[in-house]
Amino acid sequence: MNKNIIIKIVSLIIVIIALIWTLYPLIWIIFSSFKAPLEQFTIPPKWIPENFTLRNYKIFFSNTEFVRTFFNSVLVTTSSTILALILGIPAAYGLARFKWKHANLLSFIILLARMTPPVVMVLPFFLISRYLNLSGTYIPIIIACSFFSVPFAIWMMQGFFSEIPESLEEAARIDGCTRFEALRKIVLPLVLPGISATSILCALISWNEFLFALVLTGQETRTLPVLVNMFVSEKNVDWGVMSAAALITVIPMILFGLLVQNNLVKGLTVGSGK
Amino acid sequence: MSERKNFNHIQYILPSLLFILLIFLIPIVYTLVISFFSWNLLRPDLGIKFVGFQNYLQALKNPFTWETIGRTFYFVIISVLLELIFGFSLALSLNTEFKGWKIVQSIILIPFMIAPVVVGFTWKFIVNNDYGPLPHLLINLGLTSITENPLLANPTTAMFMIILADVWEYTPFVTLVLLAGLKALPQEPYEAAYVDGASAIQRFFYITLPLLRSSIMVAVVIRTLTSLRVFDTIFIMTGGGPGSTTETLSFYGYRLAFQSYQMGYSSTINLISFFLAIIFTLIYMKLIGWDSNE
Repeated sequence: MNKNIIIKIVSLIIVIIALIWTLYPLIWIIFSSFKAPLEQFTIPPKWIPENFTLRNYKIFFSNTEFVRTFFNSVLVTTSSTILALILGIPAAYGLARFKWKHANLLSFIILLARMTPPVVMVLPFFLISRYLNLSGTYIPIIIACSFFSVPFAIWMMQGFFSEIPESLEEAARIDGCTRFEALRKIVLPLVLPGISATSILCALISWNEFLFALVLTGQETRTLPVLVNMFVSEKNVDWGVMSAAALITVIPMILFGLLVQNNLVKGLTVGSGK
Repeated sequence: MSERKNFNHIQYILPSLLFILLIFLIPIVYTLVISFFSWNLLRPDLGIKFVGFQNYLQALKNPFTWETIGRTFYFVIISVLLELIFGFSLALSLNTEFKGWKIVQSIILIPFMIAPVVVGFTWKFIVNNDYGPLPHLLINLGLTSITENPLLANPTTAMFMIILADVWEYTPFVTLVLLAGLKALPQEPYEAAYVDGASAIQRFFYITLPLLRSSIMVAVVIRTLTSLRVFDTIFIMTGGGPGSTTETLSFYGYRLAFQSYQMGYSSTINLISFFLAIIFTLIYMKLIGWDSNE
């Protein structure tokens, strides 16, 4: 009995340390985004701003560059996520339901596409889009983001589909449904939580993608991570505006993520927790 | 019957298969072809020359390539090890019964959803010698020897700061995978061990660890694969510096292509990254039993 209490106390301590470790950088950035420039440069650094100011956010939002960049990020993320779902869901269903000889080779190609380092793909993508005269348009960056999210959607949805017993579909087909109707009426509603988690993670991949965006976007098509990079690489970083920019970049994804958290966790561990 | 099945099957899979083949295999083959050429974008006058295996010989002979590979592995091994240790302790702690663990789980998941670029910026700020809180914390703890040089300008500490940022970002992933594994463990062995009077430590080493082996391996392989391609945080935090002491394989490939514009040589270096990805993907497939055809 005593040992159980010790284990609980140790667990609690570990969890508290983990929380502090996780929150320390986040709270620092949140506070910094509300500090006036003068307070950014106090030595030693002060955590809580004496005068809360919205200056940093005002500067950021009054910048037309930001508005366009934000729009670009939304456009690229939405298009590539839709593409990933349209292509990925049927393929995942196909792979989960049918057993055939080359399924392994197929799974390998899909997984390898997902696991290949972006740097390997970025050079050919850059050269090919230059050759096709697509530089500076949205097409290369949307396709590049789908390059990661399509295999990911297949891989993840496959796990969700295999959890739905095939007998459910068979029952529907005995009742006169076609395979497609059974899929649409029975299976899809059941995997809806999986679809929502998959779309969030696909969106996360595209929203956060940096290397492809850095190389493949021009001034007009630039996304948020590229803009953040431009701020950071300036000689005199305005840490306050930068912190505001960083928060604006991450908040949509954190909100989406927390919204579908349970399915997200399930999705992340599907197929990997076996 | 089986013919109809195959027909259906192809219908579902074909579109995405074509998409992947188109945007994956063409660039890979293109990379392979370029790797046999000498091609500098800044020197169009030199043209694109076939040089056979010259890029490969150059890559293998250049000690810098090996340094980069070594550095990449150093980064991968240290960060995955730390993530595994922290992630495992946290997963075990979250697996005990106490209220509010769902809220804790939500909070620890946050770093995983943050853009690596923002993670890089955040940590660059945190470890900034003048305005960041970490160096001052270290000074207050009496560890002044560490902060004598700016943390990101010192070759010995710069890489470690990047590792810290990586650990911060990806420990949640390891925690979640292991937590899912822990929750799926069968209860019978524990009950039996309880009856036999096994201690908590014995139960951990003789039951939990062996049963959780595949979850651990999966977490390690996925993290290895994803940390092999580390780029964003390095680009933001150090830009590969000081000197080139934080340049990993991905960064080297990027620099060759987009700073020195050597298309051929960069492709050769990138193929090394690709080769490593193939090896670890095969290991991963073996681990989750995708080769057994169920």
